[in-house]
Amino acid sequence: MKKYVSLAVCSMQNTLSYRLSFVLNFLGSFIALLATYFLWRAIYDGQSELAGFDWNQMKSYLLVTFFANSMLSYYSESGITNKVMDGTVAMDLLKPLNFQKARLAESLGSCVLEGLLSAVLISVLAIAAFGIPMPVDGVSGILFAISMLSSILVKFGIVYCTALICFYTTSGFGVIWARMAVTNLLSGALVPFAFFPDWLRNVAMALPFQGIVNTPTTIFLGMSDTREAILLIAVQWFWIAALWLLGRSMWGWAVRQITIHGG
Amino acid sequence: MSLIEAKGLRKVFRQAVKEPGLRGAVKHLFTQRYVDKHAVDGIDLTIREGETVAYVGPNGAGKSTTIKMLSGVLVPTSGELRVDGFVPHKQRMENAVRIGAVFGQRTQLWWDIPVRESLNLLKDIYQVPEDAFRRNLDAFVELLGMEEFIHLSARKLSLGQRMRADLAAALLHDPKIVYLDEPTIGLDVSVKQKIRSFIKQMNRDKGTTLLLTTHDLGDIEDLCERLVIIDHGRIIYDGSLQAVKDAFARERTIHLQLGSELAEPSLLFSDLPEVGMDRTGPYRLAIRFDRFRITASEIVKRIISQADVADFHIDEPNIESIIRRVYEGSLDLELAAESPVAASREA
Repeated sequence: MKKYVSLAVCSMQNTLSYRLSFVLNFLGSFIALLATYFLWRAIYDGQSELAGFDWNQMKSYLLVTFFANSMLSYYSESGITNKVMDGTVAMDLLKPLNFQKARLAESLGSCVLEGLLSAVLISVLAIAAFGIPMPVDGVSGILFAISMLSSILVKFGIVYCTALICFYTTSGFGVIWARMAVTNLLSGALVPFAFFPDWLRNVAMALPFQGIVNTPTTIFLGMSDTREAILLIAVQWFWIAALWLLGRSMWGWAVRQITIHGG
Repeated sequence: MSLIEAKGLRKVFRQAVKEPGLRGAVKHLFTQRYVDKHAVDGIDLTIREGETVAYVGPNGAGKSTTIKMLSGVLVPTSGELRVDGFVPHKQRMENAVRIGAVFGQRTQLWWDIPVRESLNLLKDIYQVPEDAFRRNLDAFVELLGMEEFIHLSARKLSLGQRMRADLAAALLHDPKIVYLDEPTIGLDVSVKQKIRSFIKQMNRDKGTTLLLTTHDLGDIEDLCERLVIIDHGRIIYDGSLQAVKDAFARERTIHLQLGSELAEPSLLFSDLPEVGMDRTGPYRLAIRFDRFRITASEIVKRIISQADVADFHIDEPNIESIIRRVYEGSLDLELAAESPVAASREA
């Protein structure tokens, strides 16, 4: 266990050593957030409510989405894919480390920083600029925190399994872009599920992606009572376990695909 | 006790064949053709504890593929393989704590954190006890001259520094076996020397078993007792380095500095016509001879009977020319292994 903790700490250090690119990356997504904010404001112009969301709720939705998306950013995701692409996976295999656990440790390590930075930024925005209502009571606050953490693990499961596909395709960008497009749509990051037609909402609810954005936002906005919130978190954990097992069996298959030539 | 045992080890890669040009590329989208490349084609290899083995062969012969199978990175297509009793690709973790590896062209250091931190992390990963870690680190820093760069991140190191740091990283947990894949590639003479003497010391003090691939024949002569030559995925020679030299480097040259002129030079080797004598200067002689027809001491004895000898030295054959000739196919080492000379040397 200690070795994975050390790995996470190192990964944090690594992220810090790219502080400029890390901050720029973060600013980039922040600008994207502003763009979405103004887009939605234009849509809400003259409307008091759309698909059950009033403007205040929509603002909260955007911020929580931004928070969820800033965790396990493109930066940590491409880290896993690159290992497969450039063959450094060979160096990982030399070490007495479980590949999946090691990648989780690294991802969580950089997540701490990503989380910290965006949490600070969001608190400032939420309180100073937008006047976002926080979850009222302590119970839903705690449930939100749990669902947020679970969201990271669901995302890791998806990111990890996708990265392993690269063993087969031997090219990373296409796979990552496809993953991002599907995740953005089916997690509710692009548009809340409430705006979906029924069939698409049903499809999305049956897939793991909703655990990333839809679950924490629903709980944050108080759109579910305590019992429903716990159920939603249970579903997240079902997916965390399922994706972990899927990742493990995919790894067993992927290891056989390794063909590192030369060197 | 044999530490590494491979029987009929084989690795086949499937390679896509693309026809040339755009047409070929488009065609490849719909129908793929593959050919099998036999990178390692049924090798048998047994290595005992504490041995130092040079694993050589031309580029693409299958050296690295073999090492990657031994270290558990690649899964063999067929054949049996055990390293210290474990099957590397199935018991990868158990295997990993027993081995150390340096792949000259890759690094296992973390690119953006100081070398010292990388080594600290490895300590946790391999669960090296604190006192053993201290001891090893202090020794390595001194032997490899690492004080000047241990605080730098790996991306800032020169090639020679990086290679030394990588070597320290690979040996930190006192592995039983060390695989070195071209550890001195591209390094200058002084760094090479440091690395070689470090490896030698590890082998001597800790009994570390060593499997080394290299194109640097100095590495081989300096570090290894046993030579395994692989070509086209097959082992074409496996025996002692000395036996190869004996079998193929029969011709030696003895250089003499005389104190006086020879009395009767023509009578010296009249019974051995293949001995060649060249005058390389006043009072200087170079004598070429087949060391299995006449010994160096016999030659010196005959010279002394006719003149004073002030000084002499013998040119050893170099392994480089021998191995080059094996690659080119002009030497058949199978014969060497069976020749009586080689056999008597090994006995």
